[in-house]
Amino acid sequence: MNPLRPELLQGTLDLLILKALSTASLHGWDVAKRIAVVSKDRLSLKQGSLYPALHRLESRGLIEAEWGVSEAGRAAKFYRLTRAGRRELEHERESWESFAAAMASVLDMKEAP
Amino acid sequence: MIARLLQRARLLARSLFRRAARERELESELHDHLEHLVAENRAAGMSPEAARLAALREFGGVEQYREACRDTWVPPLLTDLVRDLRAAAKSLARTPGFTVIALATLALGVGANTAMFSLVKTAMLKPLPYPDAAQLDEIHRATPQDRKGLLSVADFLDLRREAAEGYGEITAFAYADASVAPPGEPAEFADSLRVSTNFFDLLGIHPQAGRDFLTEEETPGRHAVAILSRRCWLNRFGGDPAAIGGTMRIDGVPHEIVGVLPEAFNEWRHLGWVDVFRPLALTDDEKSDRTTARVRVLGRRSPERSGEEAARFVAMQGEQLARAYPAIHSAATLHTVALDEVRMGETGGVAAGMLIGLSAFVLLIACSNLANLLLARTMARAREFALRAALGASRLQLLRPLVVESLALAFGGAVLAMVVAFWTTDWLRVRSTSDNGDQVVFTLDGAVLAWALGASLLTALAFGIAPALFALRLDTSHTLKSGGRTTTGNRGHRRLRHVLIVGQFALALVLLTGAGLLVRGINDLNNNRAGWESDERVSGTVQLPAARYPDAASIDAFQRLALERLAALPGVESAGAAHFLPFLTWYDPIRYIVDGRDRPEPGREPAALVNGVSPGYLATVGTRLLAGRDFHAADSASAPAVAHISEAMARDLFGRESPIGRRIAEVREGALDWIEIVGVVADVRSIFPEPTPVTWRVYRPIAQFSRNRIEFVVRTTGVAPEGVVADMRAAFAALDPDLPVRDLKSANARIARANYQLAVLRDVLTSFAVLGLGLAAMGIYGVIARHTALRTGEFGVRLALGAQVGDISRLVLANGAKLALVGAAFGLVGAFGLSRMIGATFPGMNLAPGAILGSSTALLVVVALLACLVPARNAARISPTEALRSE
Repeated sequence: MNPLRPELLQGTLDLLILKALSTASLHGWDVAKRIAVVSKDRLSLKQGSLYPALHRLESRGLIEAEWGVSEAGRAAKFYRLTRAGRRELEHERESWESFAAAMASVLDMKEAP
Repeated sequence: MIARLLQRARLLARSLFRRAARERELESELHDHLEHLVAENRAAGMSPEAARLAALREFGGVEQYREACRDTWVPPLLTDLVRDLRAAAKSLARTPGFTVIALATLALGVGANTAMFSLVKTAMLKPLPYPDAAQLDEIHRATPQDRKGLLSVADFLDLRREAAEGYGEITAFAYADASVAPPGEPAEFADSLRVSTNFFDLLGIHPQAGRDFLTEEETPGRHAVAILSRRCWLNRFGGDPAAIGGTMRIDGVPHEIVGVLPEAFNEWRHLGWVDVFRPLALTDDEKSDRTTARVRVLGRRSPERSGEEAARFVAMQGEQLARAYPAIHSAATLHTVALDEVRMGETGGVAAGMLIGLSAFVLLIACSNLANLLLARTMARAREFALRAALGASRLQLLRPLVVESLALAFGGAVLAMVVAFWTTDWLRVRSTSDNGDQVVFTLDGAVLAWALGASLLTALAFGIAPALFALRLDTSHTLKSGGRTTTGNRGHRRLRHVLIVGQFALALVLLTGAGLLVRGINDLNNNRAGWESDERVSGTVQLPAARYPDAASIDAFQRLALERLAALPGVESAGAAHFLPFLTWYDPIRYIVDGRDRPEPGREPAALVNGVSPGYLATVGTRLLAGRDFHAADSASAPAVAHISEAMARDLFGRESPIGRRIAEVREGALDWIEIVGVVADVRSIFPEPTPVTWRVYRPIAQFSRNRIEFVVRTTGVAPEGVVADMRAAFAALDPDLPVRDLKSANARIARANYQLAVLRDVLTSFAVLGLGLAAMGIYGVIARHTALRTGEFGVRLALGAQVGDISRLVLANGAKLALVGAAFGLVGAFGLSRMIGATFPGMNLAPGAILGSSTALLVVVALLACLVPARNAARISPTEALRSE
């Protein structure tokens, strides 16, 4: 399987982060790991790009941060979804799915002999 | 939703104000992540060095992401603004002299303008407190003598009958000052109106407590009811609700208080500060009287009728009256004036326009000062700008800090301007205090605040951006090449600066002239003792209530007794009584015909203002009797009718012939009563600048020409005028305890009070002129000083080549004088226009425009030279060697 091309990731990174945070509150490293594990490393994003995205979501009020203690026993910033973030995730997920479905049907028609 | 907004606001505040903490958090977050990566790589067996390098590769550009994170914290516009504001504050703080002067300039310029806006808003823009005030008119009877005359009661009743058809509803009122006394208390003078019972209803005002007048209270006998202003109720009854339904003596007669008006009513702008309202209660005699102009008429048009229709209708009624009663009405017309127009009067409107216009001049001078300051400031930074432009800064990036600096100045200036405006209006409020303690309270509301802010913003931005645009036009390479050696700036800048100075001086001259004209005119009015004297005179007014002084005989008896007692007081040399004092306005012209002459067309007979005076009055006020005899006690009501006429009237009517012994008669319906002229009296002129279309005066013995309102005046000797006031008051109280005396004070104090609005106008304009002149002086000083400083090298060369110190000083002074003179030349045009305008507004004023224009110009040039003196002396002190070495 080929890595996904980075330009496709624009805007989807937010969705991935929201999804990663939908079940637990995580700090940055864990978010990166989870996205990497789930996507089987196909999303070749520079790990640093995660942070501007996290901060942007925080500024928009979709996630909120809290200082806690990591499993390594160090102070770490934990992010979790806000209610607005949860709504945003639902919304983004739906529009992504409908977009993907639309794309798929268009592509299928074209490829059909 | 709200929680989310709160969270975002908290975050934003943290990013803005606790930036260091956020930075630390970001740092630790990124550091953590990297450590995790390194640890992972180490676990995979890499060397510490390789593990770190791989981790950094994996993570990407740390600095880039750090910056990207910061960008998300605060919206970019806000970040820049905060950064720019911080930079502007720093830059302004580095040059405290500039900042203080710029802020003071803005504060004074905008403050003066804002105060005047508040004044105009209070006086003119704020609607009168009547619902649908646009439907309200005043109806005047215009005659050749008086454009805004009153109506007779019979005419009013006719008009009211017809009005229901073609106009709407009309109502009448008459000023009838009264003595009022709550039970068991001494009487005091009160401003009072007699009004038709539909008066308040027509205006749309309902008593806040109690009730309105009833229709039947119009009938004499049932009319002993009163409605009080809220202020009167508070002042005299302490706001006691039980006062309503109670009684008070008005002119000695008990009246039932039926209502109290709301606070909003009873405005200085329309009816004046009136305290007591009573029904008009017209008697049958009054109702049939068509000759005496007795009532003012207000109308409310029916909503479906336009202003023009109503005006046509009223004019038509006037024509009908003229046809029906030609002897009285043939030269008279009726016309409507919208209430909104009446209330300020023409003079008031022009005065308000003048105030706001001239305050705009002050603002403009302030603006150009600011522009000069900012221009100099920008030029001083020219190299910095050129360098930044050379390094690729865009125009916008170059402009931004300048604009933000201007914005910061504008906000600071607006705040200070509000303070200045507040002080100014507070001063005006105190000056407006009337005898009953009322004051004109000025509006300082959102609109005024917006005006201050708007004017500040406009000023600071317009005059902040102009120099900035100049900065952008700088020739980058030239500025850089000149190596920071500042010259006098290029021609464009110099020209702009000179234009600004010339403009300032032109405006300052207009201000100076305006103030000079009014100072001169008003002092002339106040000091004019045309045909009378006021030093050592004390006067006071009494209003004899008709209920207790029903006829001429009783009034005459009181008047004689009062004069006897007053003349006997210690320190009083003589005493007199009159209906009007010479320094205040006389009302109600009467038309006369001369015995043995052709009678002019009805209505076109010449008119004179008539005063009833006691024997000895002329001597008491210092008016000279030019020919004939004074009135004496024998000129009683039953004696043959006699009169004095004024100098002008004698000259116009009889030329070189002696008027003594000739006869005149009042124009009226029916038989004429001939009056013999027994004396000629010097012309008198009041202190008011309003034109009196009627210049003739007739004096009648007060016993033969009776009114209820009498002015008493005494001439003191050996004591200060104020010293006899208490004795006079006691003398009146002994005669009639229910008779208050109004305005009992020295004549000079009364004159000052009567003209206070003009005096305020004069003082405001004077302060504008001083302010404008000061700002212009500051402006020319700044420009010349800077110019001189920049030419230090040149002066050094000149001195080294043998120029004398005096030559250098002269050069600098000539430079300043030239600018001031060019400015003055332009200003003369405006000043001349203003002098014409003031002359047209106050035709009665002796303005002497030529002299004022000359002296204003001279003063302006002297101030300019003085302002240039310091730079000139500095230039003269230049040491050639040092100047050349500094090159």
